[in-house]
Amino acid sequence: MRVWVSGRGNTLLRALLKIALLGLFDALAVYWCVLFLWEGNWAFLGATAGGTLLLNWLVLSARSYPLRYLFPGLFFLSLMVVYPAGYTFYISFTNYSTGHTLSKDEAIRLILRRTYSPTPPVSFRFWAFGESGELYALVLRGEKESFFLSPEGEISDLEGHELIDRDGDEVPDELDGRPRLTRRELFQHIKQLQDIRVRYDEGWLHMANFTEFRLYLPRYRYDPEEGILIDRKTGKIYRPVKGRFVADDGEGIDPGWVTFVGLQNYIRFFFDPRYHKAFGRVFLWTVVFAALTVVLSFALGLALAILLNDRKLRLRKLYRALLIVPYAIPAFISILIWRGFFNTQVGLFNQVLHSWFGIKVPWLTDPFWARVSVILTNVWLTYPYMMLISLGALQSIPGELYEAAAIDGAGPWQRFARVTFPLLMVSLAPMLIGSFAYTFNNFTLIWLLTRGDPVVAIGERAGATDILLSYAYKLAFQGARGNEMGMASALAVNIFLIVALVSGISFARTRMLEEVSRGM
Amino acid sequence: MACRVKAGFWARRFLRNLLAWVAIAFALFPAVFVLGTSFNPANNLSTTRVIPRNPTLANYYDLLFRQPFPIWLWNSVKVAGIASFLSVCLCALGAYAFSRFRFAGRRAGLLTLLLVQMFPQALGMVAIFLLLKRIGEYIPWLGLNTHPGLILVYLGGALGFNTWLMKGYFDTIPLSLEESALVDGATPFQAFRWIILPLARPILAVIFVIQFITLYSEYLLASILLKGERMYTLAVGMQIFIGEHYRDRWGMFAAGAVIGALVVLVIFYALQSQIISGLTGGAVKE
Repeated sequence: MRVWVSGRGNTLLRALLKIALLGLFDALAVYWCVLFLWEGNWAFLGATAGGTLLLNWLVLSARSYPLRYLFPGLFFLSLMVVYPAGYTFYISFTNYSTGHTLSKDEAIRLILRRTYSPTPPVSFRFWAFGESGELYALVLRGEKESFFLSPEGEISDLEGHELIDRDGDEVPDELDGRPRLTRRELFQHIKQLQDIRVRYDEGWLHMANFTEFRLYLPRYRYDPEEGILIDRKTGKIYRPVKGRFVADDGEGIDPGWVTFVGLQNYIRFFFDPRYHKAFGRVFLWTVVFAALTVVLSFALGLALAILLNDRKLRLRKLYRALLIVPYAIPAFISILIWRGFFNTQVGLFNQVLHSWFGIKVPWLTDPFWARVSVILTNVWLTYPYMMLISLGALQSIPGELYEAAAIDGAGPWQRFARVTFPLLMVSLAPMLIGSFAYTFNNFTLIWLLTRGDPVVAIGERAGATDILLSYAYKLAFQGARGNEMGMASALAVNIFLIVALVSGISFARTRMLEEVSRGM
Repeated sequence: MACRVKAGFWARRFLRNLLAWVAIAFALFPAVFVLGTSFNPANNLSTTRVIPRNPTLANYYDLLFRQPFPIWLWNSVKVAGIASFLSVCLCALGAYAFSRFRFAGRRAGLLTLLLVQMFPQALGMVAIFLLLKRIGEYIPWLGLNTHPGLILVYLGGALGFNTWLMKGYFDTIPLSLEESALVDGATPFQAFRWIILPLARPILAVIFVIQFITLYSEYLLASILLKGERMYTLAVGMQIFIGEHYRDRWGMFAAGAVIGALVVLVIFYALQSQIISGLTGGAVKE
């Protein structure tokens, strides 16, 4: 065990190394903090500063010793579970959605960059000069004045430059000894020309087409005092309403920005006709789906466990190994296989049904049968787990109980209903609750099997088999008319509350946590 | 009388085995059917034969050399492998603290880890998406559509129920071993690294495998975060076969299903009893 021999020098070296690494990290952290401060990114600034202070405390304080072991795991837990949970909560009170993803400042900055060409347009004819593929300069000629324009966008008058018009057709042919570019040569520099923006008057000169530069004026003016936006072209006044500048006639300017909307997202799920019908139906189906899955797969699993629990059954080891195959195949693969089987025209099930009974069932296309398909598939996926936990629990029931019951004259059914089942429920209830919570959010099953389809009502986002989580996914990432992150987050918070409520009540009743904490 | 009892015994025995085989047929038919289809040259959904007439490896050939399937498989193994390895490291560190040290907040911490499990990471999908987008603005290789980014997200689930499993195992390792090491001048970390970890190898392997299987099958977060077809993990990519060409790509899909499932099946059955007791929360007593 040479590793235990650690001399003094070794310890000193370790300590120095530790300090050096910490110093390096701190330097990096300070750099990041300055960067975030510069950009006004307060969330990242706070997180980095707080995290760095915590890390220093962890490394330098002796009292924090146990926390050093927990810190790495807790760091990722905070970053990827706790922080997203808090941020989701925050987004659920905002209008975060397509068209409302920026901060107000960013949105105003974007809007103020818009320009318009005044009527009648102020335009300048232009010609470009250069040789051997190089763009030398442009000459702009307006009604009153002419300019020299460098490719870098610097403008000056023509004083000091030699402009020659050989044939007197008002089109200059040479500038400072360089010939005028032909239309084709001009085309090679199109990108460079388009990027030129020159300050002129109150706006900018910008290339409008192949022969003209035009004056563009800023379209909007922002009045920070009043907080209003003024359209200089039309004189219209826009005021901020719910994260967007809107004029009195209802016309709005995009992009909008993220703003607080209070409980609006939550209220919509209960009162807005666009959402509340879908929400109610999806909620009901989610509960039915989770409950039916747990009940049916537990019934099947328990029956098989009782079957396998017979010690006289010779091949029980083999049987068990074969029966848990659905548990061992990755779910995303078996779900897709089932989806193929359910195919209405050519799937396995309908081919068999058709050749035996002459019928075809609209498995995934009819709302009722789609729900049946979902539950059937999920029972297949879940019963091995139920069987395994039931087997474990059955084996822990002492045999004397059965003997006593048998002496008292209880039949097999009575023994099951009065002895086995109640005892099983004591130890399995927490796992059934866990299974319910898991099924409640089994997005993979729904999404890969049906995508939440079939459609129930035209124009409604949620389909017949959508569960709350897949509905939230659709709102957040699959929007036909834009993504509604705020609504999706409000839905996620609702799911969180429902799961917390269900598990809270169940845990209180089964006293699982007390038992667990006794074991610590 | 004795004869009738015996007949009843045999009948019951027969019935039990029959029921078991019916259940096994239900459990196995999708796998058996897909295995047959993967060797079927017809390559479409409308075959009901389990054993194809002219078995061929064409589906496997097409899948491995004409489709991005190998890349997806590699992506899945890479992401799940690295994330699981790092998770086990984080988890072992945490479990060691919970098992060996007594500190304020220990019980609360353990209970919190258990409660956090009730709420899937996916509930924060919008926030995770936006967070990764933000991170990517500063560190491009850790942002959206990157594997390190996805691994980072998965590490959020490192502490949880697995920490309980691991802590339970650490609790069974006698303290005397470490104490003698500490007397010899080792730091607690050295005791952890050179005494506990080697002794805990079995539970480390089991938790690695459980985590690997979980992440290998993870769909939602991967589908939000990965956008380029070459970045997909297998769980995201496999859907391509079920798009509009579902019918004509059924054979290829079946071949992919066989390969994709084998990766996990082999590990699962090799470590069957340990994995099951881990996944079912120790409810199964072997």
